[in-house]
Amino acid sequence: MLSILIWLPVAAAALGALIPHRRGAGLLALAGSLAAFGLAISLIAGYSGHSGQLADVTNIVWIRSLGIHYSLGVDGLSLFLVAMTTFSFALALLAANIRTWARPRVFYFLFALAESAVLGAFLAQDLALFVAFFDLMLIPFYLLLGVWGGPGRVAATMKLVIYTFAGSLLMLAGAIALAVLTHQHSGQPLSFEFSALRAAPLPGGTQDWIFLLFAAAFLVKMPAFPLHGWMPDAYREMPVEVLATFSGVLSKVGAYGFLRIVLPTMPAASVHFQTLMLLVGLASVLYGSVMAFTQTNARLIAGYSSVAQLGFITLGIFAFAQAGAQGAVLQMVNHGIVVAPLFLIIGLLAARAGGSADIREMGGIAMRAPVLATVFLIVAFATLAMPGSGNFIGEFLILLGLFQTKMVISIIAFAGVVAASVYALRMFIRAMHNREGSQVHSRELRWPEALAIAPFLAAIGLFAFYPQIQLQRSERAVVAAISQEQALTAPAATAGGADR
Amino acid sequence: MIATLTHPPAPYVNFAALSPFEAVIGGSVLVLLVGLLGSRFARHQLVPALTLLTLAATAGLALWQWNDHVSAISGALAIDDLSLVMTLIFATAGAGATVLSWRGRAPAESAHGDYHALLLGSIAGMVVLVSAQNVVTLFIGIELLSIPLYVLCATEMHRAASLESGLKYLIIGSVGSATLVYGLALIYGATGATDFQAIATSVAHGQHSDTLLLGGVALVLVGLAFKASIAPFHQWTPDVYEGAPTPVTAFMAVATKAAAFGVLLRVFDVMLIGEKVNWRPVLALLAAITIIVGNVGALSQSSLKRMLAYSSVAQAGYILGGVAIATRLGVRATLFYLFVYLTANLAAFAVIVARERETTHGDDIDAVAGLGAERPWLAWSLTIAMLSLAGVPATAGFIGKVFLIDALVGAGYTWLAIVIVVGSIISLGYYLRVVGAVWMREAPLAAPLIAGGSPEADSAGRHFELTAVALAFAAATIVVGIIPQPLLDLAGRAAGAITGAL
Amino acid sequence: MSATTAAWLVLAAPLAGTVLLAALFKALPGRSAGWIGTAAVALSFLFALVALVKLQQASPAHRELTSTLWSITRSVGVNANASVLVDPLSVLMICVVAGVSMLIHLYSVSYLSGDRGYSRFFAYLNFFVFSMLLLVLAGNFLLLIVGWAFVGAASYMLISFWYRRTTATRAGIKAFVINVVGDVGLVLGTFFIFRHTHTLDFVATFHLAPKVFASGSGDVTAGCVLLLVGAFAKSAQIPFHTWLPDAMEGPTPVSALIHAATMVTAGVYLIARMHPLFQLAPAAQDVGAIVGVTTLLIAGTIGLAATDIKRVIAYSTMSQIGYMIMAVSVGAYAAGLFHLMTHAFFKALLFMAAGSAIGAMGGEQSLDRMSGLRRALPFTFVCFLVGGLALSGIPPFSGFFSKDDILAQIGSHGGWYWGLYVAGYVGALLTALYTFRMIFRAFLGEPCTPARELIDHGHLFHPAQPTNPANGEIEDSDVGFPGPDHVIAERALPMRLAMGLLALLAIGGGVVGIPKTTSWLDRFLAPTFADSTIHLYPSNHLIYLGLAVGTAVGLLGILIAWLVWVARPAIAPAVARGLRPLASLFEHKWYFDELIDALVVAPSAWLGRFASNTFERLFVNATLIGGTTAIVRAGSATVRSAESGFVRYYVGFILVGLAAIGLYFLLAS
Repeated sequence: MLSILIWLPVAAAALGALIPHRRGAGLLALAGSLAAFGLAISLIAGYSGHSGQLADVTNIVWIRSLGIHYSLGVDGLSLFLVAMTTFSFALALLAANIRTWARPRVFYFLFALAESAVLGAFLAQDLALFVAFFDLMLIPFYLLLGVWGGPGRVAATMKLVIYTFAGSLLMLAGAIALAVLTHQHSGQPLSFEFSALRAAPLPGGTQDWIFLLFAAAFLVKMPAFPLHGWMPDAYREMPVEVLATFSGVLSKVGAYGFLRIVLPTMPAASVHFQTLMLLVGLASVLYGSVMAFTQTNARLIAGYSSVAQLGFITLGIFAFAQAGAQGAVLQMVNHGIVVAPLFLIIGLLAARAGGSADIREMGGIAMRAPVLATVFLIVAFATLAMPGSGNFIGEFLILLGLFQTKMVISIIAFAGVVAASVYALRMFIRAMHNREGSQVHSRELRWPEALAIAPFLAAIGLFAFYPQIQLQRSERAVVAAISQEQALTAPAATAGGADR
Repeated sequence: MIATLTHPPAPYVNFAALSPFEAVIGGSVLVLLVGLLGSRFARHQLVPALTLLTLAATAGLALWQWNDHVSAISGALAIDDLSLVMTLIFATAGAGATVLSWRGRAPAESAHGDYHALLLGSIAGMVVLVSAQNVVTLFIGIELLSIPLYVLCATEMHRAASLESGLKYLIIGSVGSATLVYGLALIYGATGATDFQAIATSVAHGQHSDTLLLGGVALVLVGLAFKASIAPFHQWTPDVYEGAPTPVTAFMAVATKAAAFGVLLRVFDVMLIGEKVNWRPVLALLAAITIIVGNVGALSQSSLKRMLAYSSVAQAGYILGGVAIATRLGVRATLFYLFVYLTANLAAFAVIVARERETTHGDDIDAVAGLGAERPWLAWSLTIAMLSLAGVPATAGFIGKVFLIDALVGAGYTWLAIVIVVGSIISLGYYLRVVGAVWMREAPLAAPLIAGGSPEADSAGRHFELTAVALAFAAATIVVGIIPQPLLDLAGRAAGAITGAL
Repeated sequence: MSATTAAWLVLAAPLAGTVLLAALFKALPGRSAGWIGTAAVALSFLFALVALVKLQQASPAHRELTSTLWSITRSVGVNANASVLVDPLSVLMICVVAGVSMLIHLYSVSYLSGDRGYSRFFAYLNFFVFSMLLLVLAGNFLLLIVGWAFVGAASYMLISFWYRRTTATRAGIKAFVINVVGDVGLVLGTFFIFRHTHTLDFVATFHLAPKVFASGSGDVTAGCVLLLVGAFAKSAQIPFHTWLPDAMEGPTPVSALIHAATMVTAGVYLIARMHPLFQLAPAAQDVGAIVGVTTLLIAGTIGLAATDIKRVIAYSTMSQIGYMIMAVSVGAYAAGLFHLMTHAFFKALLFMAAGSAIGAMGGEQSLDRMSGLRRALPFTFVCFLVGGLALSGIPPFSGFFSKDDILAQIGSHGGWYWGLYVAGYVGALLTALYTFRMIFRAFLGEPCTPARELIDHGHLFHPAQPTNPANGEIEDSDVGFPGPDHVIAERALPMRLAMGLLALLAIGGGVVGIPKTTSWLDRFLAPTFADSTIHLYPSNHLIYLGLAVGTAVGLLGILIAWLVWVARPAIAPAVARGLRPLASLFEHKWYFDELIDALVVAPSAWLGRFASNTFERLFVNATLIGGTTAIVRAGSATVRSAESGFVRYYVGFILVGLAAIGLYFLLAS
């Protein structure tokens, strides 16, 4: 079941690459990801959060000598991330099908390969398998950026790859060390399965340096201040359809890794580095916000806003309060379904402003495109986490949880909330309002474009009115993920669920 | 045993066990003779065909011998799983080299017969080397391996670089051999034995860290390190690799290195295992130096062969790490990584050879620019090869690194594991540069035909056999990357042959 | 249908209107969009009345109803439902809001008729009404915050409705950001409360509050002060008021609806709603009272100096809300809400009349250009006069009773509250003064050109080149931002209808709370404030004194205004010269904009420039990226330089390495 979900997209794309028909590649890739989305929905329908257990477990021995298993499973933590991934990729592929690409077969194959890798990372229940998928997902994005990107793409690829691979290779070392040392420490047979690693945590001192290796990988991926150096170039050059998934989905893998791997297997280290991580999160929030309202390139505004949003998620995770963690998980999904349409819209705006994503070149686009303006306004409001959007619920829970454990940091973090309203509206106004820019040809949303963006709005609406759909399913898993840290930092952190 | 030594009758020779070795030797002689025939067909087609046949036979016989651990020539050679696995590696590499040089320039300039005979002779030397059970056969093996290679490097006689590389290799190689033989002599002097087992036992019982013995160890280490191109004894590598005919380079890069590590395993993890307290740190340190030097050296090389030379240095560092820790896991990781290294490199060299013949850029990185659009199959092969060498998941390289790091951490050498990781990070700089050239650059305008470019360049025929080799090894890389267990078991069996002492 | 069902329908109607208008914006012909919007709100008002009646029928003990549709979050102890709280307070609010909104929609049907984006306007307007109703009906903090923010968003969209005006977009983002600051205050306040009560539900919170909070304890005080921040931002109280005058960039009906009648009074509602908490935090109450009184005085003085007719009314709004904030902060809840209601009537009326006058002036808003509009716009003049008298608190107009009710109750507190009492009457004097300054300057005196145009030739004045009244920038009316043709009440039945009805309410609205005679409002609201610990019973002589003083002060103000701006026009400039510093202080609005700019905007802008120009370049790029790559490159250079190509060097290296290893072994042995 889960294997099908993972490999379906790339299989379909490979098939599409082989058939002669020129548009076939894109359409088959699209079909594959749509089918994957269908499977994800059926997963959600089938999953009730009442038992926090893994569902649809697949567990085959992959490499016996190393105790590495091809072990998959889904629980409340990954359930909606999987759905969000398939959803975003399907729509991004739809948007990509509107345009024509050089060497479409390779393009769509890589695009789908990326989706499969991300899904694998979310569903893996074995550390080595997770690492494998984690590294694998970079290759397609590296090529997608390098081959189909903008003029400055080659330099961008180098930064992207060096940063992210440096992170993931360090994590590889950390992962093996974690497994081997656990094996030596506990006397159990060598195994990379999460369950085994959770069962026998290492002594604190050992945990600490392994924690740092993992943190490096995840923080780079998010990206978090100050490890975001690769972000501007990559975001500036990547094709928007790719960027939508890159920013919407990949950034979450890092945050997910903390909840899935780091917190459960390295509780002592997580507590030990709590303050450091909170400061990193806070710095990301503030720095990202400040950068976002000075940028003039719309892609970078969105990019730095993601840095800030991921900072909030980090804060939620390392608050070690149930509300915070729940909020973080919710926010991962929310940010995904908001930032992806944002980038697609930025693409449309650039197309209307003479190809430039610079907001100084834009302006007055709303004039002949009221629908586009409305869509953009809704997305912008969701981006700044306006109350009434699902993002607000996420931020509310995150900050509430943080407030319960680390009040001061929470209060400072609110500065990010205000800043968000500044940069999001600034981008909207500079693009849509005032008089037309010199190069602007205001044009209404075309049907295919609308078709690619409308579902995102629907999703935003769903999570605005009924975030509970996720919260109830994720509660058990999330509470379990942070339980050890809570126990260690008790009693402060237990306020979250006090009167349930 | 002792008695037989004191009054030696004609030594007992187990011809069945030696059959792979015999096959190679016989093959080389046959090829040499056929090479003398007048007909163009015989020289151009029959000779390579016979070479391949010979190698196939060798491999087959090796498989036939599988699993019976016997000693031949009264303990001078041992035919065990390790030597057989190694034989398979040599046969594969040799076959690869033969196909690469088919219709190539090197055998045409030298005589076909000589060329292939030398190739087979060198392989014979390798077989001897990795089966050696005493220091004498070890040295014989080394020389039998090296001398043909010196010549092979120089077989593109009209190219100065080729001759130069042959000469350099000869000179430095003899220095290496000298060091080695001197070291062996000292060890004999210290232990009074030439037999590995005997030396091992006397080392084990004899008092530790005897100066004479240690001096010998140092010399032997340097001699072998030189063959395996371990820093700081690697410097001949880039020059020789760049200068030598590309098929020969491919052969050296893969087979020679494998042989060197095979014998390193026998010498350090069997013969000198008793001294490991002393040599483990040295080997680990050398490994670290090699990794760093190789990786930083490979950055910003524009000649692909030179780049791969440095990369081979770096990879040697990784592999040496497996030897250095002297554990069962380490040996297994070493052997497994040799497979990984073999497939990736042969695929890469096949592509380089193909491009040397198709473009006028020789082995310059420009030769592969825009390959993705022009020759997708070659492009994918090269991409996979590079990613595997860089250790990206879904390729054999990833599993190899995991296995290696696993062994290192298990043996308490985590710092070396981190060095490997850092090295891999740096290596992305040059491996991905190639991938970038393949996919992200347009093919440059053909440069005017120069001495470097090969005569076939203008009549750029499609060389299906090269594409086939590239694809085959690339595919192998992926398959091993996804289903590594069988190969791991194989490596485990081979390791089992010598890790009794561990 | 039950009261709660009615409440849900009250919410549903305008939301449906929004969706309908948004969906059909292209298809709707002529003014149909306007009528749809008006109908939606009218329907909402109808249901509001139903709820009112139902509540009246219920016994006072059963006038607090809640209803839940679904749960938004129910996890890890944070439970928030989509639930409404229907009690006298919320019902009074929805009646006022829906009622006034209905009239303003009606007014806009004609007033906006010449405008591009006619249906967009009504979609926004309906959305605003929905948000405001959500705010007042919300049954828990989460929903309150949602309504709170939606109102802010709607206000933003309507302020920058004419988005081709840079002034409009700038005013819009300013209003929005300041409102977000308010939201943050609200959320943080909620956190402080939740920290102890562990519930977001209003009823439960108010029930628990006395148990979990010691009176005046730190957290409850902090919470209430933060809630006050939210209230101040929404209700344009100092120092969060600077967005309100700029908000006049919006079309006049917007100013009437949002920035006078409904949204800006949300703060008053919030404090009244949260009274069980505030009564546990006396310090917070005092903060509210002081800020209220400060605002009412400062705004009054600025109103004296402002020349833009809409801004004068805006400042008067600020100062009137100051009264209400003051009232609800000292516990005079019913009085505060009474004033809220009457103010909604007469302030909306004033704005509508002003809109009509601006229409006659062809978009011109400066009082300096207006004069003698009385004969040109008789009906408008009457409405303006009624509104003005009500605002100045002249009996028997509605404002008279509500304002004096507030002051009497404050007076009955005694103690330092007497200060507030006096200040209140000073404020009343100012109110009368600036109100009639505006009326006299605009409507009396020699008719200006536009007025002449209307009187003599009977057609509306149109400026040769329409300009943005705020900055004189040339308008591109051809695309309808704003529409080329203007409208006056005299020529548009819907406008006359709306203004007439409001005029009646402005005159007679006080009837619900005439001291000693009718006390319907107090009795109606009693159940909500039953748990109030503050009981104010002004003595009779205080009440009568208040009525007398109020009347006197109002008339005095009007008289002075008459002297200064009609009888002796020379006085005004003379006074201004005499008190130059004071006058300029007022004209520059007490330099609040400059202050905030210097304290908040400039620093953060500098920070942004520093981050992107210096930090990102030097640290993130140069150090982190450049540094590492430089090291690697250096290593690579070294290795290549060692690769000389000369055999002798290679051999040398081998020997050196050999020596090193040998040495190590010798040392090891």
